[in-house]
Amino acid sequence: MRPILLQGHERALTQVKFSKEGDLLFSVSKDHTVCAWYSANGERFGTYKGHQGALWTVDVDPTTTLLASGGADNTIRLWEVRTGRLLKTWEFSTSIKRVEFSEDGRQLLGVTEKRMNQLSTVIVYDIKQDIEAEQDDEPALRILVDELPKVTVAGFSYLNKYIITGHEDGSVTQYDAKTGEELHNSPSHEDGMQVTDLQWSADRTYFITSSKDKTAKLHASDSLDVLKTYTTDTPLNSAAITPDPVQYVILGGGQAAMDVTTTSARQGKFEARFYHKVFEEEIGRVRGHFGPLNYVAVDPTGKCYASGGEDGYEVEREKEQGIRF
Amino acid sequence: MPKAEVVLSYVSTEPNIEVAPNMAAVQQMPTRTDWAEEEDSGLVQAIPPPQITRNKDGTETVVTVFLNEDGKRVKRTQRIKRTVIKKKENPRVAERRQWAKIGPEAGKPPGPRPDTTTLGENIIFRPVVGFKSGQAQEKNPEEDKKTDALKKMQIKCRICQGDHFTTKCPFKDTMAPEGEAAGAPPETDMGAGPAEGGLGIGGSSYVPPHMRKGASGASSGGERMGGKFERDDLATLRVTNVSEFAEEGDLREIFERHGRVTRVFLAKDRDTGRAKGFAFVSYADRSDAARAAEKVDGYGFGHLILRVEFAKKTT
Repeated sequence: MRPILLQGHERALTQVKFSKEGDLLFSVSKDHTVCAWYSANGERFGTYKGHQGALWTVDVDPTTTLLASGGADNTIRLWEVRTGRLLKTWEFSTSIKRVEFSEDGRQLLGVTEKRMNQLSTVIVYDIKQDIEAEQDDEPALRILVDELPKVTVAGFSYLNKYIITGHEDGSVTQYDAKTGEELHNSPSHEDGMQVTDLQWSADRTYFITSSKDKTAKLHASDSLDVLKTYTTDTPLNSAAITPDPVQYVILGGGQAAMDVTTTSARQGKFEARFYHKVFEEEIGRVRGHFGPLNYVAVDPTGKCYASGGEDGYEVEREKEQGIRF
Repeated sequence: MPKAEVVLSYVSTEPNIEVAPNMAAVQQMPTRTDWAEEEDSGLVQAIPPPQITRNKDGTETVVTVFLNEDGKRVKRTQRIKRTVIKKKENPRVAERRQWAKIGPEAGKPPGPRPDTTTLGENIIFRPVVGFKSGQAQEKNPEEDKKTDALKKMQIKCRICQGDHFTTKCPFKDTMAPEGEAAGAPPETDMGAGPAEGGLGIGGSSYVPPHMRKGASGASSGGERMGGKFERDDLATLRVTNVSEFAEEGDLREIFERHGRVTRVFLAKDRDTGRAKGFAFVSYADRSDAARAAEKVDGYGFGHLILRVEFAKKTT
């Protein structure tokens, strides 16, 4: 298998996302642009320009008509995927760390950072799935995260029942997605080690979190019970679950960006690690990056996966199908 | 979800174009009977429709007659094999594939652009049970040996066989090193070459490297210049009187007729890049080399006559 290297960004990538059918790949980077790529051949479809700051997050709705991005310019922007037209800008007082569409695409969630006396919030917008429609200015729901440490990642569970958030102290919280009420908080990762990523299984009944404590954990959406733990030897930035029938999880990480210059590529552990989802056992690694992996995403059809690195490369690979056991 | 069916047909053509030898012959070819049409086309002779005949092996032969740029009638015979490849694709994906590109990519032709998209190195990914981190696999075997040797190495005094360096030996001044009388350096347990090949321990005079122990004969694999590029001189030919315009490729061509050539080295002037007039050709097999030496010696190449002989062993 020969990976496709995508070099559309000038700075470190922060997130990559596949469309629901897996044919388009969206990437955001600290260089203020969103890039869209055809996953089949690595052809760049285009870019979405307009943000004034580093971008932290991107998501595409299930119909691949709307694209949401958020970043350090304190805005969430909604784009039309096909034309690159900016449809809506929501402004906030702090930067946006995460956006995610709900499973049906009717709601959009955003996470604002806690900074300068501003509390971390999770905001939810109702999205009209029409490119001509005027989107609401006011959020449908605003969850103020007061008592808990700041939120780093968040997502909608199955049927928009819960909003699950990951926190700076390594805990995971479950909120009611309708009322915003806190239901359950579970300290799942080591104390003080922030949750760096949260990705869903195909049916969103369980999710995987990665953390700086060098582990990734599979949680049940309902109970927040830890189902599986994958232990590695490096701080993790991202974790993804492969769709059935392949029972893998892919973890990405590496040393913090500031320490990278002092380590060689081999020591840096800039590899995508494959673990067996059920047996919690490492089964292989794939090299290719010169810097830590900031995000790994799996094509929902299971054909390939993409990893975005601190080195500004985005690497897309055909994943071998089937399990050899 | 409905799946659209995309039918791609791949056409392989073997064009066989022949220009009609003379107009008279061409005119005998079947033309359209409709005189009115012929009138319409004016002076241009009517062009018969392409004739398609099906062959037994599933191919088609298409004979078309057309006018080329010079206004001449050209008859073209093509054999075509059609293969239908069916591919199921999600209609949404198919639609998205047709989208016009946006942003900096707008107006660019379809297909990946080399400035943004490149293929990486081939990566072999085999999931295995009980995967161990790469370090174990990547370790250099040489390094392994070294560490092993280091582990085995014990410090042993040559005078009293105690576990300290000879210079630190308390009997240093009173006793000569063991085995001194025999005149040969004592065997140590170090086992590794470098220790034995070191300075002649026993003798007081300098021993040149090739005279040292373990460097006897050519098979020693001792220090030699360019030892890494050791080649089999037995099957190497020295070619002299080579034209200065010769290229390695030319020589390879000449010498490959007589057997498998493993290496062709043509000495070139560093400044002008022209050949200096001699070359070395190595064969995989010595018998090939012998035959080639016989055949090519005296062969005229360029404006000079090649002289080929077995390369002399470098000393």
